[in-house]
Amino acid sequence: MIRVSVNKMLKAQDSEFNLQIDCTIQSGEIIGLYGDSGAGKTSFLRIMAGLMTPDSGKVLVGGNRWFDRKGRVNLKTSKRSIGYVFQENALFPNMSVRRNLLFAVDETHQMESLDRIVELTQLERLLERMPNSLSGGQQQRVALARAMVREPQVLLLDEPLSALDHNMRSSMQDIILKSQRELGFTCILVTHDMSEIFKMCHRVFSLREGNIVKRGTPYEVFSENRSGGKFSFTGEVIDIVKEDVIYIVTVLIGSQITKVVADESEASNFAKGDRVLVSSKAFNPIIQKIPGT
Amino acid sequence: MNILTGKISKVSVNGNLTLLDIDVAGENFKAILIENPDKVEFLREGKEVSVMFKETEVVIGKKVEHAISLRNRLLCTIKSITKGPLLSKLRLEHMAGEIGSIITSNAVESLQLVEGEEIWAMIKTNEVTISE
Repeated sequence: MIRVSVNKMLKAQDSEFNLQIDCTIQSGEIIGLYGDSGAGKTSFLRIMAGLMTPDSGKVLVGGNRWFDRKGRVNLKTSKRSIGYVFQENALFPNMSVRRNLLFAVDETHQMESLDRIVELTQLERLLERMPNSLSGGQQQRVALARAMVREPQVLLLDEPLSALDHNMRSSMQDIILKSQRELGFTCILVTHDMSEIFKMCHRVFSLREGNIVKRGTPYEVFSENRSGGKFSFTGEVIDIVKEDVIYIVTVLIGSQITKVVADESEASNFAKGDRVLVSSKAFNPIIQKIPGT
Repeated sequence: MNILTGKISKVSVNGNLTLLDIDVAGENFKAILIENPDKVEFLREGKEVSVMFKETEVVIGKKVEHAISLRNRLLCTIKSITKGPLLSKLRLEHMAGEIGSIITSNAVESLQLVEGEEIWAMIKTNEVTISE
């Protein structure tokens, strides 16, 4: 279990605010951090990583004190059991994938898990390649693998998938989920992508000006007290067409194309690229067994 | 989406099903939800809620003489009819607010609907969504 209770005065360009994080995270949970830029999401990760020192409070991870102002404890980043993946990967350009991964190994027993992590991140065939010969998605897989090599208790992900296209992002999400299940780490994920939160996160902390203003399951945080919408998904508007007196809104949900009928008053609020919540009452969908399954 | 406001007047629960009676401008509205009031704070008598249903779920009736299972019935005046080749959109006036209904143009013709006339707008109980 992770217990965080910290304060830190943050100075932005033209404002100052107090980052005030008070939360408990269960071991093995995937937590999404959501909020506008400048809300304090990355600062939260930096405090967890020991890259930023809070003004007061405590950070306890699995019974160990990583930070305790009063007790004058502040573990160095290298002493904290973390893995950190940024939006922009920071691979060593002059080293092969294999050497990039080996560089992160600091204890011999970690060599044994290396093969497993290479397999989880599907890097078997890329080990001898140099980073600049890899695609963006492949590079992020290496960065993820490197962050997991030390078998961290806590994996910190700062929008690692935001630069990837939809398919690549989706397969990276699957890799992270599978890795979490196999390795059991706790994960804190900064993301702006609603569908990513619904797919990945057990709980979400919504941050505003340094405070957690909402917390709960993605559904609790984002469904705005709408009741009865048991059949609900998030997606992206890819097309809006007027047919007769109605509008047909095409929404990409995961990799599935769906169509939703909307009235003019609704359709006029949407534009291509908008993120939307598609919901229906549980009474409406028709469910059928797929033959041969 | 049609959105009306009302006040919950009765909450009937059976396991995970909840049937709400809602007073919408003096009309009794019913909505069934897969929800339990123990878990959803706003499902309480006296709470003000939004009552939502899609235009495509609004049934139009005229001089209905037979008994009908539809529980939500609002006597409305047709404000306008926009006719398309297959579908038509009706704008209906009621004390509770304006309601949209999308039905086939064929239905508009066979019911001989005209602007200004009084009709019943009806919505099935399971098509009504409630929000705080």
